Amino acid sequence: MKCIPLLIVTFFLASCSTMPAINPPMLSAAQKNFTCPSPFLKEKYQLIHAIEITAAGNVQGAIIGITVADPSTRFVSCAIMTAEGMVLLEAQSEKEKLIVHRALPPFDSGDFAQNMIDDIKLIYFTPQGLMQKKGKLSDGSTACRWQEENGDFIDVIANKPESTEIKKYSACGRLKRNIKLTQTARNPYSSIELQGSEMVDYNLLMNLIEAQPAESELPGKENLKVKK
Amino acid sequence: MLIFPTLHRYFYILVCSLLILSLPFAASADSFEQLRKDSANIKTIQARFVQKKFMKILAKPLISEGRFYYAAPDSFRWEYLKPLRSAVITYKGDTRRYILSSGKMIEDKAGGMQAMKIVLGEVTGWMSGKFDQNPSFAATLKEGTNTQITLTPVGKSMSGMIEKIEITVSKKAAVVKSVKIIENANAFTQIDFTDVEINKVISSSVFQDVQ
Repeated sequence: MKCIPLLIVTFFLASCSTMPAINPPMLSAAQKNFTCPSPFLKEKYQLIHAIEITAAGNVQGAIIGITVADPSTRFVSCAIMTAEGMVLLEAQSEKEKLIVHRALPPFDSGDFAQNMIDDIKLIYFTPQGLMQKKGKLSDGSTACRWQEENGDFIDVIANKPESTEIKKYSACGRLKRNIKLTQTARNPYSSIELQGSEMVDYNLLMNLIEAQPAESELPGKENLKVKK
Repeated sequence: MLIFPTLHRYFYILVCSLLILSLPFAASADSFEQLRKDSANIKTIQARFVQKKFMKILAKPLISEGRFYYAAPDSFRWEYLKPLRSAVITYKGDTRRYILSSGKMIEDKAGGMQAMKIVLGEVTGWMSGKFDQNPSFAATLKEGTNTQITLTPVGKSMSGMIEKIEITVSKKAAVVKSVKIIENANAFTQIDFTDVEINKVISSSVFQDVQ
């Protein structure tokens, strides 16, 4: 019986891993002028993506994702719908408060909406945590690392001019999210690949349908009311 | 993904409402009985459509385009060409859904085929013009410049999904003009049809090949 706590500790240690080392610039001047990659939104934007979902290695379906994100307030409003127009989930997060407007099964279960909004914030917003390291990875990529309040680490890595990666690690270094942004001249979010590592690993391949700056108050919404 | 039983229920309601009401019923079709008589002459339907999705979150409607084909008694193809390519095809009682993946159409095997078959059973009734005999919906017909049929879900199966469906049929052209699927006070889908052709021969390959 005495072995059980030891086994548990061993299990958790085994599930942890080492994050890649970030080597700070050698010269203090270079350190001072170092700029972190910042593929994040600068203003409130509406983005619509076609999303292909793969889980456990099999393509599970394709949906349309709509996001309105405001980096100044960290407000997120999002919806996912089928090609046929059925809204499966609509939710928003304002001042860290989650409001689910609509969630059809199985999207009404667990923390699905919160996890989706967390993923959206990871893609579009600058990390909120403390800057831990900045410098180069062993392959020469520019990288910056933040640590969030909950202990998670977020790395933002620029390895090619048109490609940026965002990686989220647990406090013990387990890779939880790996996001690759492939930008075109038109938009930095033209193609987003998100790999999630949870109970079941999943992969989202998001191809941009359209993007536009969002008004503070979306126009025309007062006209949406349907006459009964 | 377990969304598909729900999706297919919604989808078939959408398709059924389109198919049934894409009928070239006469200007004098002022009753469901007349609709039933008119529907007996329909052998095939094909059309293009533009779907506009209105939601609070959208600054402007999201526009999708596609086409659909129907051949009596139970073959149809409902296909989106953009922005997200997908297709549902039913042929001789076999229903499949396809999605675009890595540049080619692949079968979506995660779907709830059982749910699709159940709803498909409802299609048969509607194809016979039995709008007012489907226990899932209460149907009303209103004559005016156009004929408007309103389908309101009965019971809880559509609860939280669809509030009502409004189908507008042009009396002048004697074909369906539009279908409006109202989810709630803040979200609806408007589908407008063009190039509607009735009883024109459709190759059976349309219902078998997805290229």
